Amino acid sequence: MKLFLCLLSACCLTAQPNSFEDAQAFLKTYCQSCHAGKSPAGGFSIDKVATKASFLADTHAWTRLRTRIENGDMPPRNLPAPAPAQRESFVKWVNDSLHTEACATGISIGPNPLRRLNRDEYTATVQELLDIHLDIGHALPADGAGGEGFDNAAETLFLSPLHSEKYLETAKLATDFAAKEFKSRERVLIAKPGPGVSADQAARRILAAFLPRAFRRPVTDADIAPYVELFRIAQRKGEAFEPAVFFAIRAALVSPSFLFRTEPGQYALASRLSYFLWGSQPDELLTDLAAQGKLQNPDVLRPLIGKMMRSDRSMTFAKRFIEQWLHTRDLTDERTAKMGEELRGDMRIQPVMFFRELIIRKMSLLNLIDSDFTIGSNLLAKHFGLKLPLNPNSTSQPQWVALPKGSNRGGVLGMPAVLTVSSYPYRTSPVLRGAFILDSILGTPPPPPPANVPALPESAAGAAPKSVRERLTLHRANPVCASCHDRIDPLGFALENYDEFGVWRDSDAGQPIDKGGLDRLKQDLTAKKDIVLRNLANKLLGYALGRGLTLKDSCTVDQIVDKVKQSDYRADALIEAIVLSAPFRQELK
Amino acid sequence: MKTQLTRRSLLRGAGVTLSLPWLEAMAAPTANPVRMAMLYMPNGVNPNAWTPEGTGADFQLSPTLQPLAPLKDKIVVLRNLWNEGSKGGDGHYVKEAAILTCRTIKKTPGADIGNGVSMDQVAAQRAATLTPLPSLELGVTPVAIGVDAVVGYTRIYGSHIAWSSPTTPLARELNPRAVYERLYRASSGPQNGSQLDGLLLDRVQADAKRLRTQVGTADRHRLDEYLSVMRSLEERVERSSSKSQMAWKARVPLDPKAAPTDRPADHAEHVKLMLDMIAVAFQSDTTRVATFMFGNAVSNVSFRFLEGVTAGHHDVSHHGKDPEKLRQYQIINQWHVAQYAYLLNKLQGMKEGDSNVLDNSMILFGSALHNGDRHDPHNLPLVLAGSGGGRIITGRHLVYGEDSPLANLYVSMLDAFGAPVERFADSTGPLAGLVHT
Repeated sequence: MKLFLCLLSACCLTAQPNSFEDAQAFLKTYCQSCHAGKSPAGGFSIDKVATKASFLADTHAWTRLRTRIENGDMPPRNLPAPAPAQRESFVKWVNDSLHTEACATGISIGPNPLRRLNRDEYTATVQELLDIHLDIGHALPADGAGGEGFDNAAETLFLSPLHSEKYLETAKLATDFAAKEFKSRERVLIAKPGPGVSADQAARRILAAFLPRAFRRPVTDADIAPYVELFRIAQRKGEAFEPAVFFAIRAALVSPSFLFRTEPGQYALASRLSYFLWGSQPDELLTDLAAQGKLQNPDVLRPLIGKMMRSDRSMTFAKRFIEQWLHTRDLTDERTAKMGEELRGDMRIQPVMFFRELIIRKMSLLNLIDSDFTIGSNLLAKHFGLKLPLNPNSTSQPQWVALPKGSNRGGVLGMPAVLTVSSYPYRTSPVLRGAFILDSILGTPPPPPPANVPALPESAAGAAPKSVRERLTLHRANPVCASCHDRIDPLGFALENYDEFGVWRDSDAGQPIDKGGLDRLKQDLTAKKDIVLRNLANKLLGYALGRGLTLKDSCTVDQIVDKVKQSDYRADALIEAIVLSAPFRQELK
Repeated sequence: MKTQLTRRSLLRGAGVTLSLPWLEAMAAPTANPVRMAMLYMPNGVNPNAWTPEGTGADFQLSPTLQPLAPLKDKIVVLRNLWNEGSKGGDGHYVKEAAILTCRTIKKTPGADIGNGVSMDQVAAQRAATLTPLPSLELGVTPVAIGVDAVVGYTRIYGSHIAWSSPTTPLARELNPRAVYERLYRASSGPQNGSQLDGLLLDRVQADAKRLRTQVGTADRHRLDEYLSVMRSLEERVERSSSKSQMAWKARVPLDPKAAPTDRPADHAEHVKLMLDMIAVAFQSDTTRVATFMFGNAVSNVSFRFLEGVTAGHHDVSHHGKDPEKLRQYQIINQWHVAQYAYLLNKLQGMKEGDSNVLDNSMILFGSALHNGDRHDPHNLPLVLAGSGGGRIITGRHLVYGEDSPLANLYVSMLDAFGAPVERFADSTGPLAGLVHT
């Protein structure tokens, strides 16, 4: 039976599946021998995906089987398997079909799971609430990430016993600090007991002003009463007025209404906007617009987004998004010990400021691929080996600057932070850089290497030095490796002119480097600009929503991509399209 | 307030009833508590230099295990154990996240994370009322961000070995000074204002319960998670201020001036300080359960501080049989064993009557892969040290049948710890020959 199927596959199934029937034939050929009958292997039977209705009814089964095939987990070793090209075309067909089916029923707003503030959001919010400048969140455990790869993904914002301890301690630390700061006291202690004002009344006034800010929504008497009660208890236990008020405030900072985003209606949208574009709590303007019920209105939102982006607070957004998208958070002390704190800081801020400027200046996102401008400083110019026309009054400040003609520093791929994190600490790796482009820029990560592949041998001591290219060529002589590395390596080779810290070089191990590669890579990426845009839209929507995207969201992404294309790929149009999308506004048009 | 007080006294009542049989069990003749720790090393071992020669009591340490030579009669080297649940799936995460759960983790970028309860947490949950802290989760490297798109798992998995429920990985403390301060606070009895803290925690739980009725069913588990961690904190705060309920006393008081730096100079110092924290916690009896991760799964920490090492940890683990990489891999493995030996020595130096803290502990060291190059889940490299209060027969190399369940080791360890279980994951019974019967 297996032999027969083998022959069949060789003769009939080399073509791309372009119909449901072709796909069924593929499944029968490669999966049926185990995944059928009464007790199918792993509990999965191909009967589950035998009808077109199964795309929507059993999406999970389709995505699972697709991933298994895409990653080469299935069919198991020693059983007939499709050729890599066949795997790929099957996977593409499944993706396309799922997408078409999902969008046939229109846009959906998708899930909006409850989430707590992550560590960065928590820190920024407490700082603003109390008007203190203390990194109070540093003691909290760092958050992992899920969804589209960001640490604000609701799915992965767990709570450990360590969190409850730290929340309690941090709230104490913050209120103790605020109690001694003039500015914080002004901000928080808006009433005091005196003639005609009882301690109770003063405390109630303070809490009635503080709690709506802390909970990011209006509060009722029923919300305030228990906190006034805490104030009273503290007073009964002998606390003076102020410590008793700060005790009630401390409770508010540990309350789920503060730690979790549970705001109702338009207040939820106000928070979603401010945590997206500012990484912190909404201001009075946003809260007022929500109170007036105007926040859903696109004509209100459009100018509001521009205003929010132009605020300094949007640096937080650019930093968190870019550093996680391009992995430049990994540019740690250890990696860059040689270059010093200041250069490292400039390197890290470069892609962040660049991205934010594209939005504020309403420029094309294609500048991410190549640009005539960059963010420069005297340290970066030195690192580049370039003279940059920096503002003579502030050469050390990272700033928007024109690049000399023919410069090789345009776009994010010319930025040393990106080039460093996609290298080993001690040498470049065309494989890592190629995989970085496929994953982060194009959104098509390569499948994992098969088990038992030997790694690339390092040059033996004493032997004639081999360039990385020569060694990788040896590696690709193996057809199993070549099936993927033919796709990965050329992308990485195009960046070989940059060493492991992003410094330009003309040769590696005495061998000259082909300078044309970089231009060809940029032309190639420009030709694929819609794929680049789509990947960026996926990432940014995942970040904005703070969750992983579902199949239904891919229809929203279609709309976003269309709008941005119609707006000449402008960066501000992308932000606007995301904010105006149904899942972000949680409203269907 | 009246209803709250009633509820709280009820809770207290429930706590006593639940823990009575346990307290009786612990009131057995020996006064020394049994402690348990797991030191996890990422990325597997050089297979040519790990396995000892000989079996039973007559064995010679392998090159990698040499740092344990002075402690040879205090250890058991275990061979041929594995977690069958980790055999499928790519790469590291499926093996490393399940090293203490013996389950198969769910392959997910994050939406529906799933593992099992780890054995240390089974112990911690049973012993929660006996010490100020139920357990310590420590590490040196921050949680890895993002999704490993290549294998399709969230990196959350690679950064957590302790799981209090199948969906709750436990966050680790990375700052040695913060650990010390936490131990100090926890061990120094009722704090100023802890009564008020109790009221505060009561208040916020009431908020969460009200919110819980307003959110959809899918979101309730998040508020339940909140309620659960706040409740356990409240219980601990209450316990610390009730003398009658808690007769706990630090066996060796902590010195507030002995807090270590919060900025270790390098990786080696950082690791050493975290191991010191385990020793302090065990000696004082502030907790009896600890887990420590030398690094996250796929860790590529640079070990260039070791003579003869030029590459990162994960890089050399994929040695492709290259002798140079194998040599560096072995040096890195041996460094980890030396840190383990450092902790064992320290515990051995802490006297407890006629014995010492090491004798009253079970300190497990190992990795979730054998040969890292192949992500090999068979024959896990594991060493157990300390005799768990005289239960474990040490000084041996125990060789089991191929692919024996790792879960059996955990059944035996939990039994020696005083938290016996009928079964753990895929266990088939206790690990033969490990403990005195």
